[in-house]
Amino acid sequence: MIRTIIIFLLFSAQFVQAQQIDQDLLRIKKRMDSVKQFSASLILDLDVPFIKMPTKTAKVNYAIGQKMKFASDDFVMLPKRGLDFSLSEIFKYPFITVDRGAEKRNGRVIKVINIIPTTNQSDLALATIYMDTKAVRVVQSEINTRKEGSYTLMMTYAQLKDILPAYVEATFAIEKLKIPLNFMGKGTSIDRKKMRSMETKTGKIKMRITNYNIKY
Amino acid sequence: MRLLLSAELLKLVKQSKTYYALGAILVIELLILITAYFQGSTILDLLLDNLKQSFYFEGTLLNGNLIMYIVLNALWFNVPLILMIVTSGIVTDEYKDGTMQTVMLQAVKKWKFILAKYIIAVLFTILVISFMMATTFMLAYSIFGSGDLVVYLNTLNFFESADAFHRICWAFASGAVSMVFYCVVSLTLAIFIKEAAKTWIAAALFLIINTLLLKVDFVIPAINSFFFPKLIDTWQQLFYYEIDWRQILINNALLLLYTLAFAAAGTFVFHKKDIG
Repeated sequence: MIRTIIIFLLFSAQFVQAQQIDQDLLRIKKRMDSVKQFSASLILDLDVPFIKMPTKTAKVNYAIGQKMKFASDDFVMLPKRGLDFSLSEIFKYPFITVDRGAEKRNGRVIKVINIIPTTNQSDLALATIYMDTKAVRVVQSEINTRKEGSYTLMMTYAQLKDILPAYVEATFAIEKLKIPLNFMGKGTSIDRKKMRSMETKTGKIKMRITNYNIKY
Repeated sequence: MRLLLSAELLKLVKQSKTYYALGAILVIELLILITAYFQGSTILDLLLDNLKQSFYFEGTLLNGNLIMYIVLNALWFNVPLILMIVTSGIVTDEYKDGTMQTVMLQAVKKWKFILAKYIIAVLFTILVISFMMATTFMLAYSIFGSGDLVVYLNTLNFFESADAFHRICWAFASGAVSMVFYCVVSLTLAIFIKEAAKTWIAAALFLIINTLLLKVDFVIPAINSFFFPKLIDTWQQLFYYEIDWRQILINNALLLLYTLAFAAAGTFVFHKKDIG
């Protein structure tokens, strides 16, 4: 009996090691890497329960191997994670993929995979990627990080051939607001019950991306 | 009436107290601007601390608009104190110098005489607020520049620069109504008390009690909504994301009614009382 268990464990370990990175993911990565540079206009809408902010605009500039650069005339808040279209953050450290099957969305077959890093160096704990394998692009990703919490990205594309999304919705958990008492207006009341219930909330940032200028 | 008004205006322009008051306001403004700068960066650090985990920030919030908002919060206690001292002097000085009797020997109607004093006091207050507004705007924008404003009023509200500027302008206008109320009260107190030092103490006490009552919850909604200490900081409502203009208008109209009531009481008492 013990011999059987040992043999099973050995085979299991070998099976995990033998797993390859999903080919569809590699195809998407290759397609994304073909984008050497792009610039676009961003229209940002923040949807966080305790933050009220008007719609903001910004410009984004990306060049392969460099961090995205943003510019705006106003004060804007941009999500730290979620604009990594090239998947470079995921591909930074070694990982394995696990096929989670497929599902149908708007008449299209969406392949679901899990990405599990194989090194502790990676900030990524687990990612679930939803891929439109026919259009060769990611439509949704659920990212769990070690230090920067979890977030979900929903991507919508203007056309079937598009490589970069026209609309991105990033959902993330956000901690309650700490209020400095000396900054509170005289009319501000503290609803302790409400404050406690607000400890962690879900926030959303909706980004409409237009005027793409892509260089391959 | 026009002659009475020009005489009162001349007295106000000629007295050194007026310029001391303007100078004092400028000094207070400068001090508040300096502290607002340091306070501003601490406030922003605390407010945006947990947002830093999820967001990059592009642009700065430590700008003239934030400084103006902090200045607005700080000014509404110091400025009425100075205004009350100057405006009460319009009456107490006349009693002290004995000029009240001299004027009353002329063919001047008592109510017209005191009404002219009230009008001049109100005009002086508006002038001081305008001066304060112009100098603070000038200093804040020239030193810190303009930009989006962030305010915490139950929610974290962000306003675009132009919107923030308009809100601050309206806040000064609403604050001016409160200042007019205080100066009319101080003039009424001066009519009742006559002596300068005692009037200053009474006026300062009135201001302190009013400020304390502002934070008290009176349980009864009508008192919380219509009692004058509760109307003093109506300007703060201009920094809610959705402005309730109707409420702001009602509050200011009510405060003006209180102002008229205090002025009417003062005029009535002055008219009935013997000069001496």
